Amino acid sequence: MTPPPAVGTATREVPVRWRLSRHGRRLLTLAIAGLLLAVLNRRPELVGVAAPALLLLGAGGLGVAAARPPRVAVRIWPGSGRLFEGEPSWLDVDARELATGYDLRWNFHPGKGIVPESAMTVTAANAAGAARFAFTVPRWGKRQAGTAELILHDRWRLAEGRAVVALPSLDVFPRPGVQEAVVTLSRLPNRLGEHAARAQGEGTEFFGLREYVPGDRQRQINWPASTRRGRLMVSTHPAERSQDVVLLVDATSDVGKPGTSALDLGLRGASATARAHLERRDRVGVITYQWGGAEWLAPSLGRRQVYKIIDAMLHADASWSRGSSFARLPRAALPPGALVVAFSPLLDQRFVESLRDLRERGFALVVVDVLNEVPQPRLPVLGWSLSSPPAGRLATVTLAVGGVDEMARRLWRMEQHAIRFSLRELGVPVVHWNGTEPLDLPLAPYSRRPLVVRR
Amino acid sequence: MSEREGGPGELGASRRALALAGPRVAALLLGVTSVVWAAVPLPAAGWPSFALAVAAACVAAGSLRLALLEVPEPQEAYFLTLPERMWSGFLSAVRTPAWEEVGCAAMLWLEVLHPSHAWHTAVLGAALVAWLLAVHIAESGVAAAALLRRQARVLLLGLGLLALGAAAALLPAASGGGAIALQILAVIAVTAAAVLVLPS
Repeated sequence: MTPPPAVGTATREVPVRWRLSRHGRRLLTLAIAGLLLAVLNRRPELVGVAAPALLLLGAGGLGVAAARPPRVAVRIWPGSGRLFEGEPSWLDVDARELATGYDLRWNFHPGKGIVPESAMTVTAANAAGAARFAFTVPRWGKRQAGTAELILHDRWRLAEGRAVVALPSLDVFPRPGVQEAVVTLSRLPNRLGEHAARAQGEGTEFFGLREYVPGDRQRQINWPASTRRGRLMVSTHPAERSQDVVLLVDATSDVGKPGTSALDLGLRGASATARAHLERRDRVGVITYQWGGAEWLAPSLGRRQVYKIIDAMLHADASWSRGSSFARLPRAALPPGALVVAFSPLLDQRFVESLRDLRERGFALVVVDVLNEVPQPRLPVLGWSLSSPPAGRLATVTLAVGGVDEMARRLWRMEQHAIRFSLRELGVPVVHWNGTEPLDLPLAPYSRRPLVVRR
Repeated sequence: MSEREGGPGELGASRRALALAGPRVAALLLGVTSVVWAAVPLPAAGWPSFALAVAAACVAAGSLRLALLEVPEPQEAYFLTLPERMWSGFLSAVRTPAWEEVGCAAMLWLEVLHPSHAWHTAVLGAALVAWLLAVHIAESGVAAAALLRRQARVLLLGLGLLALGAAAALLPAASGGGAIALQILAVIAVTAAAVLVLPS
């Protein structure tokens, strides 16, 4: 099999540990037992029992001991160094230099979070001693692919060599959500782009009509309008500008089931928004807000920025750690007049304070609420027992716990409503996204027309 | 022709199953034969019975290991259920011990525990080698014909030495402690010489 050219081909020299195979150990046991019993019992026929085993060991194993390679060169081709969660991928391995004279078998030991999709033990029957392991990674993150164990057998399978190769790490990107439309600000910076601005300019979209004045280009004359009005009219066009977009991902709270948690949805939504804006030539940056600080990437243009943004988000750590907390986000990551799109479950009060601070600094904000879980009650509420309580104290205690639980849930819900209400009162739109529908749906009220921001 | 009517797919599958099961059944039969051969004449109670029980258990467990060769172990998980944990423990208990090694030693011990003819021991030796080869073929999946063809000369020479050892024990002149020691040394010397002169 000719290995396909792929990303990140690496050749590694790994040591081989040689020892007797199971078959060799059995023959050795038979020989030793035969010789020992022959000497102890003075029965020469038992030496004859040991003779075939000794011959096999001597002729097949010991004779070629010196020729066994102490190291082996293993080549590894990852199908892709970067992949999206759930996307099938593979790893090709081979030990080409050893292919003659040895039987090769590969064992794949997948790393944490790697789901094998092919046989984990492959006998390399081809001349190149190559094998392919297919797998998928169900969840985003930086993952170690695992290890591949090469097992070498000599011609008579009496000796066994083992070499373990660490497979490369994989950057598994969150599967981006679907977003076509983008939120556009009403005031755009004076930079060439693809968004129609309110000012007149040299764009392509229709902006309005005005009377012809000397100096206007003839191609701008709107002939149907000129015919109707009886005088020359020219079409005017809006200026086309780009905007700065900063994605703000809240990694302080990761609630929900793995795969559909708040952080999962936040990263998927941010990836989708980054793609949609970068396709419209906006400058996009990202701030990952987490315990102990924030990591950010300054806004920039281009397709590579998508991967840079996702790569920066992969470092998001939702686990709690002691560190300096802050309410003000870094100034360097927030260009003046930028549109800030925040993805958050709005559970961390510090993050909510940061949003308020951003709004007070005059930034245009859109908050995508990715909270899809509510706390479950520990005990069911037995409402019927209130009207006809059974005798005994136990029932009364159960009712009380269930009632407190439900009350706590109601308080929690009211607090969440209050947080969202306070943000809306500040002029910050809060939309809810469940992760399954396209992001266009919740953002539709703000993407149909330019977002007007009161300073 | 559809597969239901016995098409090539079904034939191929049955051939594959036969190729998979053949060496395992052969290993089981050879193991049972070796135990029975080593046990004849039937031993009295005591150490011979113990050796027989160990040998029989090893053959049974080794055959079970071969039968469960393709069964995957449960995937590593933090919380295995009790049946999964028990199944994993059972597989590990069947796969880890060296059943064949212990079985070989037990059968040879059983053979020397009761008086037997030299030719009887020689046949046991041949059966043990055949059993070990069958186990090796079954667990490694190599083509039996190719393996045996490659090792034919060595195996024939080994069988010759086995016969030589039996013949040396049967010689009427070989009586007395010194003579027996000489016989043993002679067979060891012949075996070593054969190992040294054999081409690798």
